Amino acid sequence: MTRGKLVLKNLTRKKTRFLFTVLGISVGIASLVTLLSLGTGLEAEVRKQSQELGAELVVTPKGWCAYEQISVLTGETLPEAIPNADVEKVASIKGITAIPYLVQRTAIKNQPVTVVGILPEPMKQFKNWQVEKGEYRLDRESLVVGFSIAKQFELKTGDKLTIRGTEFLLSGILKEMGNRDDLVIYLDLTTAQKLYGVGDKVSFIAVKVDDITRIEQYSQEIQERANVAVVSDKQLIKSVMAIVGTVRNTLQMIAAVAVLAAAFGIINTMLTAIHERKREIGILQALGGKRRTIFFLFLYESALYGIVGGVVGLIAGFAFSFFAAPYIQQSEFTAFLGSAQTVEIFNLAVIGQAMLFSVLVACLAGIYPAWQASRLSPVEAISYE
Amino acid sequence: MSDMIIRTEKLTKIYENGYSTVALQGVDLEIPRGSLSCIMGPSGHGKSTLLHLIGGLDRPTSGKVFLEDLDLTAIDANRLAEVRCRKIGFVFQFFNLLPMLTVLENVEIALMLAGVPPKEQHERAGDLLALVGLEDKLQARPNQLSGGQRQRVAIARSLANDPDILLMDEPSGNLDSKSESELLQNIEKVNERGKTVVIVTHSPTVSQVAHRIYYIQDGRLKREVENFG
Ligand SMILES: Nc1ncnc2c1ncn2[C@@H]1O[C@H](COP(=O)(O)OP(=O)(O)OP(=O)(O)O)[C@@H](O)[C@H]1O
Ligand SMILES: [Mg+2]
Repeated sequence: MTRGKLVLKNLTRKKTRFLFTVLGISVGIASLVTLLSLGTGLEAEVRKQSQELGAELVVTPKGWCAYEQISVLTGETLPEAIPNADVEKVASIKGITAIPYLVQRTAIKNQPVTVVGILPEPMKQFKNWQVEKGEYRLDRESLVVGFSIAKQFELKTGDKLTIRGTEFLLSGILKEMGNRDDLVIYLDLTTAQKLYGVGDKVSFIAVKVDDITRIEQYSQEIQERANVAVVSDKQLIKSVMAIVGTVRNTLQMIAAVAVLAAAFGIINTMLTAIHERKREIGILQALGGKRRTIFFLFLYESALYGIVGGVVGLIAGFAFSFFAAPYIQQSEFTAFLGSAQTVEIFNLAVIGQAMLFSVLVACLAGIYPAWQASRLSPVEAISYE
Repeated sequence: MSDMIIRTEKLTKIYENGYSTVALQGVDLEIPRGSLSCIMGPSGHGKSTLLHLIGGLDRPTSGKVFLEDLDLTAIDANRLAEVRCRKIGFVFQFFNLLPMLTVLENVEIALMLAGVPPKEQHERAGDLLALVGLEDKLQARPNQLSGGQRQRVAIARSLANDPDILLMDEPSGNLDSKSESELLQNIEKVNERGKTVVIVTHSPTVSQVAHRIYYIQDGRLKREVENFG
């Protein structure tokens, strides 16, 4: 007989109680793991995406909310609302380059793909695109695609692509950029506007300024000339982080509440167990068990709840992150939380943190009950009816 | 009177929970080494209380308990646990065994608490259970045993750390006469091996084999009888 064996035997005596207590911790740890694995590298990811956009200012229709502003970065479908007249007014300002975007969606083989209508030449210069295969031709009959799209759907130059019932020739494939640009089908702006029936409107305008110190003035000038709103890339990041922060705080609250509830579950379970085993504790004491021995027997039992609950919680949390991530990604509000680079399944740091936290909480929860057990007087325990 | 293994001095125990219950009052008692003694008396008059105080399971309100020359009332809880572990074996009236452990493990656990390594625990526990005739019940659970068998396991366990003193609280209280006489044989066997045995009992059969009988009434030592069979 060893102490470990004794603790294990005690732990699993009441199977259902054991199960539900473990379940309690597992839920807490699972939500923690989900939070941690969805949250890793979040801020860096947001910054990267705003850099990819390559603009210092983004011109949007008036009255866009933060969620819509974020979509500029995530490539979600946007309401088209800036008429050509405004685009021209913005473009005519000296010292800035205005790049209009019309963001739409289509499907290839039933999978949603982003379609962006652009002005071919300005965009190419602005983004510094290189052509991998074929030629860079965007007009009424031809289009180009990003590198990853071509790879994912096994597209070759010369292929026919049907968008909204119109057939296009795939004239070129862009060189890999290593960002979201690789995941887009590019159409000529006017063609796209006709195809999607949006008149002469665009979704937003990315603006690059020549003199970065005068961003404020440019921003004002744009808003004076055209009936639009302007956000800087810094503001954009800020509003993204604010939303992400809210989501994260909510998740953290849920995790905290779940873990707290689990801790009370352990305390409850242990106090009940001690009450039931009063006589056994008395016998252990009569046999020479010291207070310290009794204390640690019960503390280890609590700690084991933490270990078992932690393992189950980790598995559940990873499973959830794994299966839920694609769905989270589809929602534009949480696109950042779930974008592929931010979900790290089986991250060692996450495993370590979650296990440590689980065992720590279980031990803390176990201290009071174990202390109570160790304080029992042997006689009281034995004469207990 | 030179070799007294247990000695109490003006032992008094008053339970205080809401109101005071005087369980023992000024008990002076001496128990010789190697003897087999009985404590008898009416129900509720302090016998178990006396046994618990002698065994260091509880502390007196006043007075002293000496085990050989060691004053049990003057040492801390840890030392007391140590004394219970090495010097004393207990057998209680009803509840002795840990229900989730096998018979063998119930004996092993006493050895574990004394720091004996698992392999040695195993061998010694097996030997002890053979001594009380339970070698074929090693893997049984307490709830698969009869009352008499359970008491035998408790006796085997009380001997685990080779204690000098065996304290038994009504060990035959819920046994039939056949089981009781089997139990008595075991107790005498243990006593013959040099252990001092103190039994709290209501049973005349048990008291017949005792060398000495202490009568407790109203928390006082009423009378002390030497018994020469
Ligand atoms: N933990 C306790 N708290 C309060 N009173 C107690 C406690 N234990 C025993 N008593 C009281 O002390 C007195 C002596 O009890 P004790 O158990 O020693 O009697 P006993 O002689 O062993 O009786 P029995 O033969 O029925 O076992 C009784 O009046 C009992 O009610
Ligand atoms: Mg009693």
